[in-house]
Amino acid sequence: MSMAKDHEYNVQAGEPVGVVAAQSLGEPGTQMVLRTFHMTGVAATAIATSGLPRIIELLDAKKMPSSPLMRIRLKESYAKSFAKADEAAKKISEIKMSSVMRHIVENFSKGKILVVLNTQSLQAADLTARPIAARLGKELGVEAKVGEHGNIIVSTHTKNLKEVRAITVKITKAIVNGIEGAGRAMVVQDKNGDFYIESAGSNIEPVMQVEGVDPEKIYTNDLFSMYRVFGIEAARNTLALELRKTLEDQDISVNDRHISLIADAMTSGGTLQSIGRHGLVGKKESVFARAAFEETVKHLINAAAFGEVDHMRGVTENILVGKQIPLGTGSVKLVIKSKESKKK
Amino acid sequence: MAKKISEKCYVHLNGRAMGYVADPLAYVEEVRAARRKGVISGEVNVAYLEKLNEVHINTDRGRVRKPYVIAEGGKSKLTKELAEKLEKKEIDFGYLIRNGIIEFLDAEEEENAFVAMTDADVTEKHTHIEVDPVSIFGFTANTAPFPEMNSAPRHLMFASYIKQAQGLYATNFNLRFESRAYILFYPQAPLVTTTAYESLHLDRHASGQNFVVALSTYYGYNMQDAVVLNKAAVDRGLGRSMFYKTYSDEERRYPGGQKDIFKIPPATTEGYLGEHAYSKLSEDGVIEPEMNVEEGDVLIGKVAPPRFLEESIGAGGLEEKTRDDSVVLKPGENGVVDDVIFTESPGATRIVKVRVRGLRVPESGDKFGSRHGQKGVVALVVPHEDMPFSEQGVVPDLMLNPHGIPGRMTFGHLLETLGAKAAAMKGAKTDGTAFSQKGSERLEDYAKILEAHGFDKYGEEVMYDGVTGRPFKAKLFQGIVYYNRLHHMVSNKMQVRSRGTVQILTHQPTEGKARLGGLRFGEMERDVLVAYGASLLLKERMLDQSDKATVLICKECGSIGYRDYAKRVDVCPLCNSNKLAEVEISYAFKLLLDEIKSLHIRPQVGMEE
Repeated sequence: MSMAKDHEYNVQAGEPVGVVAAQSLGEPGTQMVLRTFHMTGVAATAIATSGLPRIIELLDAKKMPSSPLMRIRLKESYAKSFAKADEAAKKISEIKMSSVMRHIVENFSKGKILVVLNTQSLQAADLTARPIAARLGKELGVEAKVGEHGNIIVSTHTKNLKEVRAITVKITKAIVNGIEGAGRAMVVQDKNGDFYIESAGSNIEPVMQVEGVDPEKIYTNDLFSMYRVFGIEAARNTLALELRKTLEDQDISVNDRHISLIADAMTSGGTLQSIGRHGLVGKKESVFARAAFEETVKHLINAAAFGEVDHMRGVTENILVGKQIPLGTGSVKLVIKSKESKKK
Repeated sequence: MAKKISEKCYVHLNGRAMGYVADPLAYVEEVRAARRKGVISGEVNVAYLEKLNEVHINTDRGRVRKPYVIAEGGKSKLTKELAEKLEKKEIDFGYLIRNGIIEFLDAEEEENAFVAMTDADVTEKHTHIEVDPVSIFGFTANTAPFPEMNSAPRHLMFASYIKQAQGLYATNFNLRFESRAYILFYPQAPLVTTTAYESLHLDRHASGQNFVVALSTYYGYNMQDAVVLNKAAVDRGLGRSMFYKTYSDEERRYPGGQKDIFKIPPATTEGYLGEHAYSKLSEDGVIEPEMNVEEGDVLIGKVAPPRFLEESIGAGGLEEKTRDDSVVLKPGENGVVDDVIFTESPGATRIVKVRVRGLRVPESGDKFGSRHGQKGVVALVVPHEDMPFSEQGVVPDLMLNPHGIPGRMTFGHLLETLGAKAAAMKGAKTDGTAFSQKGSERLEDYAKILEAHGFDKYGEEVMYDGVTGRPFKAKLFQGIVYYNRLHHMVSNKMQVRSRGTVQILTHQPTEGKARLGGLRFGEMERDVLVAYGASLLLKERMLDQSDKATVLICKECGSIGYRDYAKRVDVCPLCNSNKLAEVEISYAFKLLLDEIKSLHIRPQVGMEE
């Protein structure tokens, strides 16, 4: 591309790009369906948050999306074989005790707990009692053995009622397989025939450690995970990508520059900032602009306490007092040299 | 554990648990049998709710109930013999209820019923039969023809539009003082009626007219939902109506023996509107019938005692001060005083009611609707010579854009066009009751009649453009449709403002028609100007055309000061400086500064040259 062309696409100085971006995203928002559910694609993505609720979630920079999702690429040797990919997926896929347990019985006099497992759900999850017992023993620091009928007997070495009950609660909440928060993982094949894993949860740090996983190619729709692990640039790209995907999903076309600008604005501080009271708007320079948005009195009182000065450089505060806004036609000033300065 | 309780089925009478029964189904049947025999009142309804395992008996008032014919053993209890007797008026409806042939069900008991639509549908399992299939609609909805040919939402919309139709709502309208009333000049009974319409005798209180309608565009003047009217038809009285509005006032009594008085206020009254405004009042202070009135004219002259006690004592004058509280014709209104009455309230105070009437000739901006949820606003009233005409010289009264039909699926509108046209040629009304005949049969019936009278079977006619005189390439679908003039009329709604009143608190323009207000330039509109970068246009809207205020601000301490006109100096009350600058700010900002001060915060304004 030539330099001349490059310049043709530049916006002019004083163009209110932020307002235009906000309108370009806000107007289609009014057309979007408020439904959360929609039925296409793979089982994991079938009930993913989409549409307006998802956009709001992104702009609010929520700590964890309401339907987290990981896409885990595998190392060469694992990606070519389904068996190996499945092996990796098994290590990730999160199964909770509650989903394989039938019921739990405590024997307080002996300090033992009997966990009766549901053989059907065990089979469905491709699990046996032995590894579960081993994991329980390791994680809870108790002695867990497999007894008759494939049940697990946990010896607590205590007869204290409270302590036994505390362990029971821990057992019911325990994770019997996979990584906490990783959700159910499934092996998927891409266009090139390579296998990778999709998972309906997000916890990328431990997933990276799993054998066979390519730690550089993990993607999650959780912005904060991406920020924590890969940095702010990755978080910016994830944000832009997720916004774009959500809009495309609803057949809404918004120019990429608007989306990029919003993602840039939200990450320009080096951290993820939401758009709202706790983020970008709440950190505006002008006291009046902040007071005009939300929590008017709080901002005014703080401004008074710290002796803040409003330099009237933004749009909102200038409209408020009735001045010409420093944007568009208001961004230029006429400067005439006075006769005195000419003489010099 | 929970099972044991539910084995006993509780019986609730009017929402109160009264006891329990072992076999609820048998119990419920027993109650019903007793009701049908007349042992207990026919107003008792009983229902067994399976999900709750409860029996609910309701005898209280306020339940909506609907009659059904009872079916037993796959047969209707309303036998042929009974139907014949009913027809001959040997028996009446009451007989059927007393003898357990028809019964009323409430919402709860309906849940236990299995209702067949017609006699032909009845099986062993059915418990009831609809009295008539049309009873799935209400009275209002049943006045529309061919609802089964339209999409359901359109039928629903009709039911709300028909309530807005102008007609002859009461024949004694001349004696009534409705706060607002609309009387159609030449109401007509529709050519396509329904049984409900006839039995409600709505033809005696008709609320529409049979319009000759051509389904055609007209030079783009009926785009979207606009319609085009024929000027000649309008001049002959099409859709013409009278609008009545009643103004009233009362001579109120106040504590302390003071009271309002109807009279022409003396010029000394506070808030005196000027001699001219009262010129149409007679000696009693009230306007006379048949007087032309325009906006600003006083209809009822009234003086009231002052609002606050101090005012009446003030100035030391012997004469008690009074305040003008006359009723003035609202801005944008005009007409003729139709009638004036004096009455008395229960508190023995005099009441005056003045009814003003105004002619409402259809004009562009008025709203019309057919009986198929098809509404439109008049966009143009076309001179007769410019309207399309058919071979016989028929010129439509109204032209409807055909694009409005397919998307809304109101095929009943098309069928009515044909049906009414056939009815007009035959010289007899035709029936359009819901579900009474198959649509295709109706179509063929109408086709036969139309053909016999020399028309195209399906209503299409060669038409000529009134403007050029040339025939249109396509034939136009023309017929008759019953149209209603709805009570949304421009002349009652339109309003303009260039300058005008402002609010006392904010100094911003007022809102709303009654207060001669402007249209709000809101946040989103503001954002549009920001996005466009039109900074000066924005400033004009937000400041110059709104609440611009010039205030004096102290150059030294930044607080708001004032001008001492006597000494001809500007003064800052805080620092006693005389160096103040005139600054243009929005009054809203001045208010904000005041409010900040009320928070015990001292704002200071810095300025540059």
